[in-house]
Amino acid sequence: MILINIDSLSTTELQYIAQQEGLATWQSLDREALIDALEEAFEDQDDEVPAALKGKINRNRYCNSLTDYRGTMQHINGLPGVEELPESYYDTSIHLLLRDPQWAYAYWSLSQSAMHTVFGEEGELDGSLFLRVQETVLDTSEIKTFDIAITGEDTQWNINLPNMGSSYLVDLCYRDHKGNEMSLAQSKSVETHPPYWQNNGEQLALDENLFAVHFSSLVTKEGEIVDNAVIRDIAQFLSKGVL
Amino acid sequence: MPANFVAFILNAHLPFVRHPEYPRFLEEDWLFESISESYLPLLRMFNKLKADKVPFKFTISLSPTLCCMLTDPVLQERFVQYEERLIELGEKEVERCGNEQPEFLEMAQFYLAQAKQNLSDYQDLYRTNILDGFKALETSGHLELVTTAATHAYLPLYTEYPTAINAQIELGVQSFLTTFGHLPKGFWLPECGYYPGLEENLKYHGISWFQTASQSMLLSPDKVQHGDYRPVRCPNGVAAFPRDFQGTSLVWSNTSGYPTDKAYREFYRDIGYDLPMEYIKPYIHEPSVRVFTGYKYWAITGHTDQKVPYQRSEARKRVAEHASNFIYNLKKKGQQLSRAMDESPLFTLAYDAELFGHWWFEGIEWLDQVIRLAAKESEEISLVTPSLFLAKEGTGLQTARPAFSSWGQGGYSAVWLDGSNAWTYRHIHKAIERMEELAVRFNDQISLKQRFLNQAAREVLLAMASDWPFILFNKSSTEYAEKRVCDHLRNFNVVYGNMCKNAVNTEWLVKAEKRDIIFSDIDYNIFNPDR
Repeated sequence: MILINIDSLSTTELQYIAQQEGLATWQSLDREALIDALEEAFEDQDDEVPAALKGKINRNRYCNSLTDYRGTMQHINGLPGVEELPESYYDTSIHLLLRDPQWAYAYWSLSQSAMHTVFGEEGELDGSLFLRVQETVLDTSEIKTFDIAITGEDTQWNINLPNMGSSYLVDLCYRDHKGNEMSLAQSKSVETHPPYWQNNGEQLALDENLFAVHFSSLVTKEGEIVDNAVIRDIAQFLSKGVL
Repeated sequence: MPANFVAFILNAHLPFVRHPEYPRFLEEDWLFESISESYLPLLRMFNKLKADKVPFKFTISLSPTLCCMLTDPVLQERFVQYEERLIELGEKEVERCGNEQPEFLEMAQFYLAQAKQNLSDYQDLYRTNILDGFKALETSGHLELVTTAATHAYLPLYTEYPTAINAQIELGVQSFLTTFGHLPKGFWLPECGYYPGLEENLKYHGISWFQTASQSMLLSPDKVQHGDYRPVRCPNGVAAFPRDFQGTSLVWSNTSGYPTDKAYREFYRDIGYDLPMEYIKPYIHEPSVRVFTGYKYWAITGHTDQKVPYQRSEARKRVAEHASNFIYNLKKKGQQLSRAMDESPLFTLAYDAELFGHWWFEGIEWLDQVIRLAAKESEEISLVTPSLFLAKEGTGLQTARPAFSSWGQGGYSAVWLDGSNAWTYRHIHKAIERMEELAVRFNDQISLKQRFLNQAAREVLLAMASDWPFILFNKSSTEYAEKRVCDHLRNFNVVYGNMCKNAVNTEWLVKAEKRDIIFSDIDYNIFNPDR
């Protein structure tokens, strides 16, 4: 049961309901007049309600009657105000999602002012766009970067992450025809951590018990290894000495 | 002390699908098939074991979306109608098979009897709320019930939005409390999706343990001592239970798992597709959309379309063999591990609940026999729940950091983030950002605006469900999944657009609330990052 008192609705909301109810004069009515007009409209609808139900109807049920009155078959997404999703939200931002330790997915958008900066007044790219991927090695804090050229039409990219044990972030950058560069947006960072056993695989190779505990759980009875690229790498390493 | 601990964890989850605006809705059958073929038969199995005084411990995660649907009067009534249609079809099938295909008669009778038993259990035993059945088994000490993320969101793809992750966890816990009357100790990570640091939020909400993918230990940055065969404590004390891939694969593998045995029932051959339209039409969907009816008469047979009729007696023999083989493998592996570890191993075996009964028809009988065999060999095998294991063996667990991982293809996030579904995150992330903005700008609203904002929060959460990107990836019901994601986001934008104008679209709100009955006591302020 939905309990809405018409007095609790704002004037804007009252105007919206009046508009939906087809009151031609809704724009010219003040708050009091809107409430009176809506009460009158709903009293008319109440006349269509069976007598047995009338006693239960009070001022708390306006919104409820609004729905029942329209029937439940109407699809909610056909209602006024429900619009298609935009292709872009026209803010300048870039986001980085870690897909696995080797790959991240970036998507971005440009605001109108950034578009103006990039594409100029004629709407043609006045320089070049690129992604600058910044890698910070977690152990040493060493920073490396590499660039990926993109076009004005691109809005997403899969980015290869060359090393585990690093933090990565991406700048959406613009370079003008004079070679001046500027960052339009920067993503938050994602981190990858190297597995202990990747750098200490020889311990697994030399110790039967360690191998049984750590690796055997990841292999089916038929010898199929769990679907994971890093574990396949470790298995490849181990197979040189043991398997 | 037993030689081996075994923790079965079943994840019972379905996305929120409820369309009262249609007389029947195809995707609602996901729920009805699961109740009919998995949840009710599982409850019968547990209750029979209990009546037979067979000791057992099991863990079941019941997702908030599933709990909401299971307690919704509209869907409850529709399930009764669904089961009544199955009974009507079964009666026709018994007659038809008796006259025309006697080789299928036994199974037609079996399905009819099961449908009648289901309806009787549903209406008379559980009064249409099967959660009471799970609650009773929890009270008797046989089950540990746990929760999961509010809409089963795949959390590693929302690390940029801690409020959204918190909302998923907090609402998952709150919803469990409302449904079962106490706080959960465990939390099922949707799709075993873990990222370092997630445990902080779980601890904040009182969670003691969660499960992780198998490779989360071998890929840990720390030197984990016992691989997947003992849980670890995250640095903040919350326990992580890694899934045993090898043990799980005995069942789960779609190439060599038990369910692939040629004597077992073939899932994909169903009279909904095989029989003439004029006969089957009342039991499929309008307009003449062929669907599974549950009446399936063929055995897997092999990699051929020439199937042989299903022989229940033959399948039951295989169930017994497979249950024995499973126990044998656990014991054999346990001996090897005990020597290597100098401690009792724990096998954490995590599955989707719907695998048993629905996908693997004989799966529930197999579980039943595994439990009975384990009870007979209680000195060597002890069924435990993670909470029970922590109570017994929780002191002295190693502290280590699980690695970023999931149980999906590739072991990370590739299933939920690929070319088929990556486009959704642009919109979902934006909706989260805007929801946070609304929660800050319009904090602590009352009355109509509060309801409007609460509905916006529901729409964001429903868009985050892991089911939609999975379906898009899997190319199964892609049209529906795409529509659902888009609809929730478009609906969210209604609220955002109106609130920016300080208005409320009342008509939309009332309809949206009627449709999305989930999280009735949600507070949109949950999305306020300053909260």
